[in-house]
Amino acid sequence: TLTLTSLIILTLPITTTLLQNNKTNCFLYTTKTAVTYAFAISLIPTLLFVQSNQEAYISNWHWMTIYTLKLSLSFKLDFFSLTFMPIALFITWSIMEFSLWYMHSDPHINRFFKYLLLFLITMLILVSANNLLQLFMGWEGVGIMSFLLISWWHGRTDANTAALQAMLYNRIGDMGFIMMMAWFIIHLNSWEFQQIFLTNPKNTTLPLLGLLLASAGKSAQFGLHPWLPSAMEGPTPVSALLHSSTMVMAGVFTLIRFYPLMENNLTIQTLTLCLGAITTLFTAICALTQNDIKKIIALSTSSQLGLMMVTIGINQPHLAFIHMCTHAFFKAMLFLSSGSIIHNLNNEQDIRKMGGLYKTMPITSTAITIGSLALTGMPFLTGFYSKDPIIETANMSYINTWALLITLIAVSMTASYSTRIIFFALLGQPRYPSLTQINENNPYLVNPIKRLILGSIFMGFFISMNTIPHTTPQMTMPPHLKFMALAVTLLGFTVATELNNMTHNLMFKQPSRMHTFSTTLGYYPITTHRILPYLSLTMSQNLATTIMDSIWLEKMIPKNLTIMQKTAASLVSNQKGLMKLYFLSFLLSITLGLLIAL
Amino acid sequence: MPYIYINIILAFVISLIGTLIYRSHLISSLLCLEGMILSLFTLNALLSLNINFTLSTIVPLILLVFAACEAAVGLALLIIISNTYGLDYVQNLNLLQC
Repeated sequence: TLTLTSLIILTLPITTTLLQNNKTNCFLYTTKTAVTYAFAISLIPTLLFVQSNQEAYISNWHWMTIYTLKLSLSFKLDFFSLTFMPIALFITWSIMEFSLWYMHSDPHINRFFKYLLLFLITMLILVSANNLLQLFMGWEGVGIMSFLLISWWHGRTDANTAALQAMLYNRIGDMGFIMMMAWFIIHLNSWEFQQIFLTNPKNTTLPLLGLLLASAGKSAQFGLHPWLPSAMEGPTPVSALLHSSTMVMAGVFTLIRFYPLMENNLTIQTLTLCLGAITTLFTAICALTQNDIKKIIALSTSSQLGLMMVTIGINQPHLAFIHMCTHAFFKAMLFLSSGSIIHNLNNEQDIRKMGGLYKTMPITSTAITIGSLALTGMPFLTGFYSKDPIIETANMSYINTWALLITLIAVSMTASYSTRIIFFALLGQPRYPSLTQINENNPYLVNPIKRLILGSIFMGFFISMNTIPHTTPQMTMPPHLKFMALAVTLLGFTVATELNNMTHNLMFKQPSRMHTFSTTLGYYPITTHRILPYLSLTMSQNLATTIMDSIWLEKMIPKNLTIMQKTAASLVSNQKGLMKLYFLSFLLSITLGLLIAL
Repeated sequence: MPYIYINIILAFVISLIGTLIYRSHLISSLLCLEGMILSLFTLNALLSLNINFTLSTIVPLILLVFAACEAAVGLALLIIISNTYGLDYVQNLNLLQC
């Protein structure tokens, strides 16, 4: 039963694409209802799993056998995939309904829905894959769909550049993935997870490094992060689906999948921890002074991803997974409400030009408030059930103090930039033009947001109550550590409120150094996007043109020879060029010699 | 000595004198150089045919090869002089010393 239901889930959305009736209007509605039914059906295996804790592996179609390697279509339905699939389907359902309102005036809306559906299918393939080949197919699939969806408005150069950026940074990560696959197939002769975990090799540093690189690329960790803020060029439903809840989770998800190998390898854990800590602090700093609402939310996603990496680094993959699931809800909701604001203010994305939406858009402002509170880990909302255990476990485990401090600072900054969004977008006097068309009455806009609000409030409780903890949580700790997360968040709130209130009165003449550092995303995209291509292009120019053509063919032998001979000749000879005299003397001496000899 | 050898050696000597004594144009020296080579070639060919020494029939051919190279070098020199001075008068050669 489990097998059949999960296969039905995967094929329901697929059959909708196969119908290909792009011209009719009901394609959209059939897609949306297909996803709804898929969500409902996917709850069945999940509830069965919750009741019985019985994992399943489905392996049905034998694809090919290369010498001793057997490749087949296999699905792994364990805690991670069974919990994530309904969540992904729920969020996709909400986003599709939202995009019926958001992309209403777009002539190619059928194609948009087709792309969203393809993305969902590849994401589900990734999540439920049991062998690395299938996971890689899902991985590449979400990369391609991200590219197509970010450049949805392809007439805009910024969108095309952003899509290329996303693709290139993902590719750098893919190299790590392929290295990992190659290592596994050489050393363990298999790409199936069961065999990898059974044999439990001892020297797993190299493939885990490849895996870390792959998830750094896919999940926008520091060093490979600029594509995520640039990916906000895509439409808001795309940002909500891809870059808040699902695609950027793919990297963290794969890392979580490999937790049996990572438990034994302390080097990789330390690396993950430090990388996650740097990412979360850096992106939180950058999010503090951005002016585009979508970029703030994107950088907040990046910061939360860093937090998940930190959790994996302290050897708590299950906490990271729970945080991933809960984060999906409130981040998608934040994106949807920002989309509602943007559309209602006639495509205005700059928070300096919003304000006073508290009274005019009550549902959206409620959503933003609840989402921000959940994000910062307000007690007993969703984020609390995942974020608080992470901070507590981090405080009590034997880790790098610097990473811990950085994570705490980043948590306080989370509160700060959330306050900034609320302050600038919702409170105060309106700063947008007076002719407004603010209208929240469309059910396609309101229903998804309402559903996600309910999810943000209650899902944390449900998920944490229904899962069996795989590691014992920390029960006793000193009170100052227990309240650390809460205290740090409150500190962030108060500081941000004070500073934002000061912006009514003060105005800096010139932005300080730290401000420009933060606004230009830490100078990172500016430097690396110029320097790296410049270096490789000059190196190739030197190799191809200068060394081969110019030096070896032209200058080395012919020109050198002429110069040497000319300088030698002009130095050595002191002739005067009296040709006739020389020839006459030659003739005379020959004749004299002949005459004397004869 | 057979008469024909004397004839050709005389041709050689006349060309030699022509190479060494010329009035103004450099190209006349080069022409007489070609004449020298021609007479040497004929001498070599006749000699190897009359003595019936088959192996030495290759000598005129090798001479011809080197003659061609030498003529090319001579002409290249002529062209350089002509590029610098415009004419190939011999009295030009000590005017501009570099």
